[in-house]
Amino acid sequence: MRTGLDEGVYEVFARKSRGEPLRHIGYIDAPGDELARVYAWKTYDEENWFEMCVVPRGAVIPVNRVEGPWAKNVPEETPGS
Amino acid sequence: MGEERAGRDSRVMTPAPLARHILSLADTKRLLGIRYSDWLLGSPSIETGIAASSMSQDEWGHARLLYAMLKRLGFDPFEVEHERPAARYYSAPALDRPFADWAHFVAAVVVVDGALSVALESFADGKFALARSRVPKMLAEEEYHRRFGAAWFSRLAAAGGEGAARLRDSAGAMLPTTLAWLLPADTVHDTLVADGHVWPEDRVRDRCRRRVGDTLATAGIDLDAVEPARAGWDPERRRGPGAPGEEAVERARGDLNRDLFVE
Repeated sequence: MRTGLDEGVYEVFARKSRGEPLRHIGYIDAPGDELARVYAWKTYDEENWFEMCVVPRGAVIPVNRVEGPWAKNVPEETPGS
Repeated sequence: MGEERAGRDSRVMTPAPLARHILSLADTKRLLGIRYSDWLLGSPSIETGIAASSMSQDEWGHARLLYAMLKRLGFDPFEVEHERPAARYYSAPALDRPFADWAHFVAAVVVVDGALSVALESFADGKFALARSRVPKMLAEEEYHRRFGAAWFSRLAAAGGEGAARLRDSAGAMLPTTLAWLLPADTVHDTLVADGHVWPEDRVRDRCRRRVGDTLATAGIDLDAVEPARAGWDPERRRGPGAPGEEAVERARGDLNRDLFVE
């Protein structure tokens, strides 16, 4: 959990109905998890969302593409692999 | 319907207990919305400004719904919203002047917005049918105001230094008049309690303690030690002395666009 004064980036995911998959709708900067929840809800309020989630950008691990916004989250390769 | 209109003529109102209560809630929300709107630009980040904008819209929407309730009590909502001078506003005194800085804004979210929400919870739990049906949605929206206030307040308090000192000073200055606004000690309010429209004082105090007590404690403020400032109490306007600044009331009334109103 982020608790300091530094801002972190959070990816925002949402869906309009129970059966719909979560989709990425944008990102916000926030200094902590609790404010990230508020900022996401207040920033992306153009829809009547059924569910919204935020994920710290640092927690997103890329699988096939190692460049882009999550490049620095690529885990170190296991020795010998 | 006429019972709550006692003493009203075209410009001067002396509302009975229920109307006074609604007007106090509505005016406080409208002024809070104006004070929030001052920080759409100039807040610490774009996201914070967007949140302030959204909270401002929430407050104005809630005020509109509350003013509309007065129609059921025989008042003309247009006249109530757009015709009164500042001296006839029933808003909480903590909103009479603009917020001086960001710490002041954050303190108001916790203290004034928090008190408003407790007052609305109490009203929604009472006998007035319109409050029971319309206020719960307001309270759902207010939950994000509570989270915003608690997170920012705790963050500034934990950072220490000048920001924490300003936060403590702002909250400390607002609390006595806001507690007096939340807990009117007059016979008009006693009537509302006796009629089952709002909670009695001990229940309101307990709810207030649970809603904001821990947050205020992060800045070293003990809510139980704060005494309501009741000097100069105006029983007609349900508040202490003073009035909101004329500039804010001109915005609340929409004076600049009066000729363009379409109702």
